[in-house]
Amino acid sequence: MTMKRLLLGLAAVLIAGPAFSQQPAPAVPGWAVGRPEGSALAPHSPRLTVMAPDQLPVAALRLPPGFSAAVFAHGIPGVRAMAEGPNGTVFAGSRVIGRVYAITRNPDGTTRTRVIAQGLNNPNGIVMVGNNLFVFALNRVLRYDNIEANLDNIPAPVELTAAFGFPNEADHGGNHFWKVATLGPDGRIYTNVGANCNICSIDRDRFALLVSFNPDGSDRRIESRGVRNSVGLAHHPVTRELWASNHGRDWAGNDVPNDTLIRVRRSGEDHGYPFCVGSWADPQENAGRNCSEFSQPSALLGGHVAPLGIRFYTGTMFPEAYRNQIFIARRGSWNRERLTGYDVVMARLDAQGNVTGVEPFMTGLLDEANQRFLGRPADVQVLRDGSLLVADEQTGAIYRITYRQ
Amino acid sequence: MLARLLAAAVLAAAFPGAALAQDARRGADLAQTCLACHGDNGRSQIEDIPSLAGQPTDFITLQMILFREGIRRVPVMNQFAADIPDRDIEDLAAYFDGLRPGPPDDRRPRDADLYAAGQALIGPRHCATCHVPDFGGRAQIPRIAAQREEFLARSMVEYREGRRAGADTQMNGAVVGLSDPDIAAIAHYLAQQD
Repeated sequence: MTMKRLLLGLAAVLIAGPAFSQQPAPAVPGWAVGRPEGSALAPHSPRLTVMAPDQLPVAALRLPPGFSAAVFAHGIPGVRAMAEGPNGTVFAGSRVIGRVYAITRNPDGTTRTRVIAQGLNNPNGIVMVGNNLFVFALNRVLRYDNIEANLDNIPAPVELTAAFGFPNEADHGGNHFWKVATLGPDGRIYTNVGANCNICSIDRDRFALLVSFNPDGSDRRIESRGVRNSVGLAHHPVTRELWASNHGRDWAGNDVPNDTLIRVRRSGEDHGYPFCVGSWADPQENAGRNCSEFSQPSALLGGHVAPLGIRFYTGTMFPEAYRNQIFIARRGSWNRERLTGYDVVMARLDAQGNVTGVEPFMTGLLDEANQRFLGRPADVQVLRDGSLLVADEQTGAIYRITYRQ
Repeated sequence: MLARLLAAAVLAAAFPGAALAQDARRGADLAQTCLACHGDNGRSQIEDIPSLAGQPTDFITLQMILFREGIRRVPVMNQFAADIPDRDIEDLAAYFDGLRPGPPDDRRPRDADLYAAGQALIGPRHCATCHVPDFGGRAQIPRIAAQREEFLARSMVEYREGRRAGADTQMNGAVVGLSDPDIAAIAHYLAQQD
C-alpha cells in the first residue's frame, strides 16, 4: 500500500517534468561543508561477518615489555562498548549490526558468546547499574533486570525511552546519534548527545552535550556543552571528575582539528563546539568567538584518530605506574589522506590530574607502508582481575592484555 | 631493517586476506533463488527490484546482514535472509560481484532535460566521492550506474526520510533537502550511466 502510493507519487513527479530547473540548488548539507572537490575519502567498510580465529591479528599486536595479548573472545561481529557484570559477564554493544552480546567464561578458560538483543538501532551504550543492564540505542533506552541470572532466558526489557527523552533519528538527521554510557560514582548514568551535523550552528541545549540522569531517566543535568561527539566516558577513580573522548569535525584538513581528551572540572562547562577546538577556531562556525573563553582540552590526540572508549586503569595486575592512568581506544581515521590511529594509547596524568603525555600502548594494527588496517579498537575495559580487554570492532574479537614480570 | 622485514612476513602470514574465504562458484549455486527476481544475469527486469550484477562484495554482504538482522526492512528479503549463515552471504556476494553489470532491458530513453538536471546536482552533492567517478561503487558503497531508475529514486527517498541507513549515515546526510523532482532527476541521470 505504502509502496504503491510511493510509486504513484514518483510517477507523478516524473510526469510533472522539469520544474526543478527553476529551483535554486539546495544548500550544501552540514556533512559536506568544507568538503574539497575531488576528494576520494569515505568511511571504511565495516566487517560484520564472523572472522575465522586463525585470521585474527593477535600476533601482530605490539605491547610494552612484560605485557602480552591473547584472544579473549571472537566471533562477535561489530563488537564495541563493553561493561562487566557483578558475576563477571562481559556485555558488549554494537552499532550497525544492532546486537548486544553477553560473553561468559567457561571453566576451561574459553568463552561463550550469546546474542541477548538484536535488531536495535546502534545499541552502543552499555552500562551496568547493580544487577541491571542498561542499553542505550538511538532514542531507545532499555533496562534488562537481573540480567546475569537470566542469560538463557532474556526477560523483556523495561522500556525507559520516554523517561530519558533523547532526540530521535529525525532530530539527529543521521548524525552522531550513537550513545556511550557509564555509571558515575554518584550513582547517576552519564551519557552523550552528539552534534546533529558535521559542523553547523546547533541548539546548544539539546545537542553536542554530555548529560547525566538518575537511572530512572529523571533529573537530566547538562555536564558539559559544546562536545561534538564523545564515544568514551569515564570518571577519575580518585577525583571523581568526568573525562571524555571527543571527535573533531571532518573536512577541515588532515591534521585539524584535533580529536581530544577532555576533563569536566565543573558540571555544565563549555568545550566550544561548534566555535573552537582548544585554541583552534573553526573556519566556518567560529562566529567571532575567542577560543580562550572555552574549557581547553586536557590532551590533543591527533586529527581524525577517532578516540572511542576510555578507562582509568584501576587494577593491580599492571605495574604501579599504570595506576589511574587513562587507556584510550583509537578506532582510526577515514577523513585523512594517510591512515592514523588504530591503536590503544595511554594518557599519563600527574597528581593534579594534568595530562603529561600520551604514549602508545597497543599498536600493530596499522600497516603504515600499505596504508591498510588490520583491526579497529573501539573500547577498553579493565576486568576485575586487572587485565585489560580491547574490543576490535573490525574483526569481531576481544583481546585480553595481561602483565607478568 | 631485518626486524621490519620479519614483522612484515609475520603480518603476511597472519592475514591471508578475507577474499580467499569467498567462493563465487558456491555462490552461483546458492543464487538460483535470487535470480528469479534479480534477473538471470543479475540485471533486474522487474520494477522496484535492484540489479545486483557488479555490486561490490562488501556492499552485498552488508545489506544481507542488515536484512538478516531485521535492520533494513524489506519483508521478502528479511524472509530470504533469515538465519542465513555468514559464509553463504559472502559467497553470494562474491558471485554477484563477478557478474557483468548493465542496464535493464526496459531502460527508458534519455530525457535530455531530466538528465541535465540530474547532472547539475551530482557535482554539488559529491556523489562521486564515495560512489567513485563512474558510479561503479566500492567496498560497502553500491554501484549506482545503470541501476533501475525507480529503485534509485525510492532508495533516495528512504534515505531522506530516515527509513534506511547504511553502515554509516553518509547517505542520509547526502540527500538532505533534496526535493522529489531533484531525486527524480538524479535517478534518471544515474540510470543512464553505463
